[in-house]
Amino acid sequence: MTLDPMILALFAPLFGAVAAFVLPRAAGAVGLVAVLLTCGAVLALARQVLAAGAVTLELGGWAPPMGIALRADGLGVAMLAMTAAVGLLVSVGALDALREARQRQYFWPLWLLLLTGMNGVYLGTDIFNLYVMIEVIALAAVGLTVLSGTREAVRAGLEYMYASILGALLFLMGVGFVYLQLGRLDFAGLIAAEPSAALSAALALMIVGLLLKTALFPLHFWLPAAHANATAPASALLSGLVVKAALYIFLRLTTHVPLPDEILVTLIGALGAGAVLWGGVQALRAERLKLLVAWSTVVQIGLIFIAFARAGQVGLAESWKAAALLILAHGVAKAAMFLAAGRIRDEVGHDIIRDLDRAPIRPTLAQFTFALAAISLIGLPPSLGFIGKWSLMEGAMAAGYWHWVAVTMIGTLLSVAYFSRVLAGFLRFDRVRAPLGEHQGWALADIAPLTLAISAISLGLLAAPILSFIELGYPFGAKP
Amino acid sequence: MTDPVIIFDLLLAAAVVALAVASLSVRDLFVAIVLFITFGLLSALSWVRLAAPDVALAEAAIGTGVTGALLLKTLRHLRYVSGTLDRAEALSVTPAAPVPAPVIWANAAFCGLVTLGLAVAFLGAPRSGPGFDALVAEAMPASGVDHPVTAVLLNFRAYDTLMEVVVLLAAVIAVWQIERGLSDAPAPVLGAVWEGFARLTLPAIVVVGTYLLWKGAEAPGGAFQGGAVLAAVGLLLLLSRLYVPQPSHRGVARWAFVLGTGAFAGVALLVAGGGRVAFEYPPEHAKTLILLIEGLVTISIAVTLAALFHGREPVALRSDRGRA
Repeated sequence: MTLDPMILALFAPLFGAVAAFVLPRAAGAVGLVAVLLTCGAVLALARQVLAAGAVTLELGGWAPPMGIALRADGLGVAMLAMTAAVGLLVSVGALDALREARQRQYFWPLWLLLLTGMNGVYLGTDIFNLYVMIEVIALAAVGLTVLSGTREAVRAGLEYMYASILGALLFLMGVGFVYLQLGRLDFAGLIAAEPSAALSAALALMIVGLLLKTALFPLHFWLPAAHANATAPASALLSGLVVKAALYIFLRLTTHVPLPDEILVTLIGALGAGAVLWGGVQALRAERLKLLVAWSTVVQIGLIFIAFARAGQVGLAESWKAAALLILAHGVAKAAMFLAAGRIRDEVGHDIIRDLDRAPIRPTLAQFTFALAAISLIGLPPSLGFIGKWSLMEGAMAAGYWHWVAVTMIGTLLSVAYFSRVLAGFLRFDRVRAPLGEHQGWALADIAPLTLAISAISLGLLAAPILSFIELGYPFGAKP
Repeated sequence: MTDPVIIFDLLLAAAVVALAVASLSVRDLFVAIVLFITFGLLSALSWVRLAAPDVALAEAAIGTGVTGALLLKTLRHLRYVSGTLDRAEALSVTPAAPVPAPVIWANAAFCGLVTLGLAVAFLGAPRSGPGFDALVAEAMPASGVDHPVTAVLLNFRAYDTLMEVVVLLAAVIAVWQIERGLSDAPAPVLGAVWEGFARLTLPAIVVVGTYLLWKGAEAPGGAFQGGAVLAAVGLLLLLSRLYVPQPSHRGVARWAFVLGTGAFAGVALLVAGGGRVAFEYPPEHAKTLILLIEGLVTISIAVTLAALFHGREPVALRSDRGRA
């Protein structure tokens, strides 16, 4: 029996989730094995894509449009790889971070189902299948949100679920109308379709649903509370990975059926600008560390949409690369930052920003991790975040769209300001002097976030190979 | 010459819309739920008129039956158990804190835009789209079953259906992991009428559910509809306290939840090989495999829906006996 790596990438986490659920005592070990298998599958898939360009697999032997095909190209595999790598490190972090038996028991099946759904999205070529996948993601993600068990988390999880279901419903209605119009659901059919007002309206419904799920301003209302109140590993997964799935579908859709109008592209960019400014101000006002980090996610999502719109409609053929770079950079850096914030909270006992410098315990390694992640999120060289922002501004300047450059600059200044609130506290450590030889707040659990943060910085040095990899297999060319 | 059935259709459409409006605007939550259930039944009837009996069955069993039961159970929980709503508050849908006007206007604008999008998409849509009909008809002989909907769900697009079963699994895991503390709902007081009802209906439900599943291969029906009907058995057992979930049953329940997903995915993987890819059932065994998958998925769906109705992981109770 030959096992296709795409099948393995879907079934390893799925069977892992099943096994972790029926064997609650061994959930951690089962989960880790499943995530490692997924990583192996993604590596094998990356090798195939490097050798052959895009690879496809028709499930059940039924050809699209009736059947469903899986397809992996450079961009898809880059997303899979980011998900698997971040997921592996977050999993390692979760082994230590989850204290309660209930959390340890339920984290793994939910996270592995989430991984199944995300891998399905990155391999999907059929819009109805993508709808089913985002439902899998949504329910698993809501489960992870309420895992911490606090009242605030349950409330935030409920709001998240309402937003998520509404988004999925809008997407599904769009899918229904696309099917009614075209009689098919695969991406190839969308490329071949004649543009019409009805088709545009159907796509608009789908896109609004996706924007709600990816939390683009002003549809971000559910995100800060949900991400701030989850347990640290869950927050890292939700913020680093989950919002990217809808974003990825958005990128795919808009390149298979380009946005018909310059005004729409500008509108998307304007919403992104709103996110950068509003999110930045809210992050400045946040009192709790995790809430600040969650608002920074709103900002970064906005930035990704600015990158998408940086050079107008004609520039879309190139702009998606800047957006993809920022997606990858944010995934790695934000996972590191949430894990680090969780570590700081665990050591200090609270995460009120104003009082962080008064703690007798200094979790220096976690603070260092936080600072490194902040470097990538602010966009300082040589981090991957810097490369993403640079290519955003380069494209905007080349196209003469200086307003996007200005917004990005303001956003960068805001991000320096709000991260400085935290970092300044880390540096002023002399308020309370800890007795020598006491617990220094280092732990094995710091390794995972630290590795992620170092990767976020050092991946910037590999930007050229990453850029050429995501172009493999014509993700956004004339060829389907 | 118009078909006289058109009058029935117009009345049906008007009733569905009116019930939807009434269910949203009525102030008593209990009445709202009852109206919603009625709305669901008439929607199921509309699906019949739209020549989609599979959807009609699913709408009646899941959209109306199970959902209605879940809503009523939640209302009861809010009122009498958790104490988060007192009776006056529970009976009213007026929110405790007034919603700020800008939020209302923003929501209205958002809804207006969505309605506009729906209208444009609907008005521009062809009366009858091309669809998969021709392709499905061509591939039917190799599918192993005689009912096109079952062929699409369990063979041509089995991957989608597997993931829908996974959605249900994710839902029950998410519900089980929510910590509720140790208090449990006191048993509702059910009289002799109830017992007679259960005695009469239980065997009938089992037969109907199994028939729906079995019939799915050649006629409307199948795992989701059959599972939802069988879930009613679980609901009756739970309501009458003939079955009380115990912590020691958790292991079995977990296996029952994952049975459908595991079997579906397992078959999909095991048929691969010898030039075949995942989900590619050999035509000569397709019917057997599909029936096996459907049977196991039905069990999982029934148990999962009943567990969702119970609404929590069974935990050791401190002293529940005195209250029951």
